[in-house]
Amino acid sequence: MVLKLYGNPQATCTKRVAVVLYEKKIPFELVVIDLSKGEHKAPAFLEKQPFGQVPYIEDDGFTLFESRAISRYLDAKYPNKGPKLTPDSDLKAKALFEQGVSIEQSNFDPFASKAIMEAIFKPMFGQTKNDAVYDEAIKTLSAKLDAYEKILAKQKYLGGDGVTLADLFHLPYGSLLATAGSDLMTSKGPNVTRWWKDISSRESWAAIAKGIPAGVNKFD
Amino acid sequence: MVLKLYGSPVASCTLRVAVVLYEKKIPFELYPIDLQKGEHKVPTYLEKQPFGQVPLLDDDGFVVFESRAICRYLEAKYPNQGPKLVPASSDLKATALFEQAASIETANFDSFAGKVAVEGYIKPQFFNLPKNQVVYDEAAKTLSAKLDAYEKILSRQKYLAGDELTLADLYHLPFGTNVAAAGCDLLTSKGPNVTRWWKDISSRESWTAVKKGIPAGAIEFD
Repeated sequence: MVLKLYGNPQATCTKRVAVVLYEKKIPFELVVIDLSKGEHKAPAFLEKQPFGQVPYIEDDGFTLFESRAISRYLDAKYPNKGPKLTPDSDLKAKALFEQGVSIEQSNFDPFASKAIMEAIFKPMFGQTKNDAVYDEAIKTLSAKLDAYEKILAKQKYLGGDGVTLADLFHLPYGSLLATAGSDLMTSKGPNVTRWWKDISSRESWAAIAKGIPAGVNKFD
Repeated sequence: MVLKLYGSPVASCTLRVAVVLYEKKIPFELYPIDLQKGEHKVPTYLEKQPFGQVPLLDDDGFVVFESRAICRYLEAKYPNQGPKLVPASSDLKATALFEQAASIETANFDSFAGKVAVEGYIKPQFFNLPKNQVVYDEAAKTLSAKLDAYEKILSRQKYLAGDELTLADLYHLPFGTNVAAAGCDLLTSKGPNVTRWWKDISSRESWTAVKKGIPAGAIEFD
């Protein structure tokens, strides 16, 4: 049975999972959850995802939520399809990968997502952008990217010298920063710029950047 | 060579790592970084941890930072010492549910509990700064809603990832404890399942040993 991805074609965390599906060419069906209609808060949805958030997957009866957990599961389930997006058994390589994943979740996501919430999502839903909150988030993100600039001066990607989930996890919010009015990803320094251009030009991202196609997606 | 843990004896993320060291009885020595003196922002520290945060692990020259990454490394390096804190990687579904739980902690607990803890306890207690009541109230409100979901999950299973304790549960200990210290009783008032789970994990010997501060000097285990 084809894997079902319950989410929204434009939602950041749904796209996070979609990138991995495209990287590994795993066939899937996008089941659209209309956030503007509150479908993610309906009792039937909350049964599967008690936090009322997208996405979740259903893989032959196995339900899983949290986009980064889903991404890890897909890479583990299909190790020989497409690129290996997590290191294999080397203890140190794994530790540096986990360090990279944690960096994204603790030092990038909270600030990037806050800035984007103010500048893009709130206006989309008829609310006013709070300039002070936006500026504070961008200021903190800028300081965090100073650290990225140092790390990426010594290694090609955030988790080591090969691309991993730790890099790909940045794509949804990272890509919206420019739309939000911040050019940090291409102005912080040569290393962040190099890294950002590299990962944001991957085919998997290009395929879904403007929205994940609804219905069944197959790969040759 | 004995593991070196650079951090603050009472700082939340340093304690997160210490719990795992105690669970698995891994000998280590705490190298204190004085946060109030800004020792985490000096150039020699930033060389190793460019975000200027604690903790940092130096395992015979191999440096890792980010407390949850350090915890995972310790579990992977000493799989047969103490309890198994992650499922076997060969069990795809159990591993996925562990990763789901670990992500829940970071995305749905940490920042809200952290804000409650910082405003209600850490700022007044350690830095003599006033509590921002608006930030505190907003964070407590969101945390309460998140714990409604925890209550549902924990009504079906003993721990956050399933019926076995994992790192995902232990990660909650530092900020969870500070939430209570901040005067917010959510973890023992939200519902019977959250209460049961919280009492279980917060009464573990490993947490009791470090919650008032990691002892200085070399730590050995029998």
